[in-house]
Amino acid sequence: MNRIYEELFIVKPDAAEEEVDQYVEQLRTQLTAAGATVDKIDKWGKRKLAYRIDKYREGAYVLFQFTADATVVKELERRLRVSDMVLKFLTVRIDQTLKRLEKRKKARDKRSARRAANAPAAPAPAQPTAAPAMPEAPVGPMPGQPKGEA
Amino acid sequence: MAETRGGRPISASQRPTGGDKAVAGQKKQYFRRKKVCRFCVEKVDDINYKDVKMLHAFVAERGKIVPRRISGVCAPHQRRLTDAIKKARNIALLPFAASY
Repeated sequence: MNRIYEELFIVKPDAAEEEVDQYVEQLRTQLTAAGATVDKIDKWGKRKLAYRIDKYREGAYVLFQFTADATVVKELERRLRVSDMVLKFLTVRIDQTLKRLEKRKKARDKRSARRAANAPAAPAPAQPTAAPAMPEAPVGPMPGQPKGEA
Repeated sequence: MAETRGGRPISASQRPTGGDKAVAGQKKQYFRRKKVCRFCVEKVDDINYKDVKMLHAFVAERGKIVPRRISGVCAPHQRRLTDAIKKARNIALLPFAASY
């Protein structure tokens, strides 16, 4: 049961750049050794924290994205917890979200495609009915306008 | 006829009150713009906890989540938004409570 996870963690700001790189690399090798595939590693760099953590006001954010079993995540979390460098971490399972997004995107594309296909066919029968509908036409856009402004 | 007349004043008296209400509403007469869900309008599918800039718009000064009745976000999106804000708080992207 492979799942896609996202791991965001904060490294102490006073840790050296090389040190962080080394740690990230270490985590990556450990993950791959545990049977996970690391899809993405993103270092955001130093950011101000929204609140103080262990007397630090800023921290370096690192984002991992990987595909793995639940047991791998457990191990990774244990490692992060044990590490002195890591202030805080957050694991989010994202495969379901990604699936949902993909589904919505597909539905949206389909709808727009259908609309595009219908559009050229629609004007011909619409024109005769458009003439009596004309007085209504100015009423239609009116409620739409404030929405557009908002 | 008399009975129906007797009956009518009540309904008639009810009607003016209804009318009064409308008048009162007119008296106040301020236009409340219909709120629309920003996520529905912009067709945002994903409300991500990492998008701090966007989330900031839905967090009050003190760090509270802005209620739906004020922001106008629809229920399904507010649910996702709440989740995202809570995750962001957890990883110090957003404050639990802003201090002055």
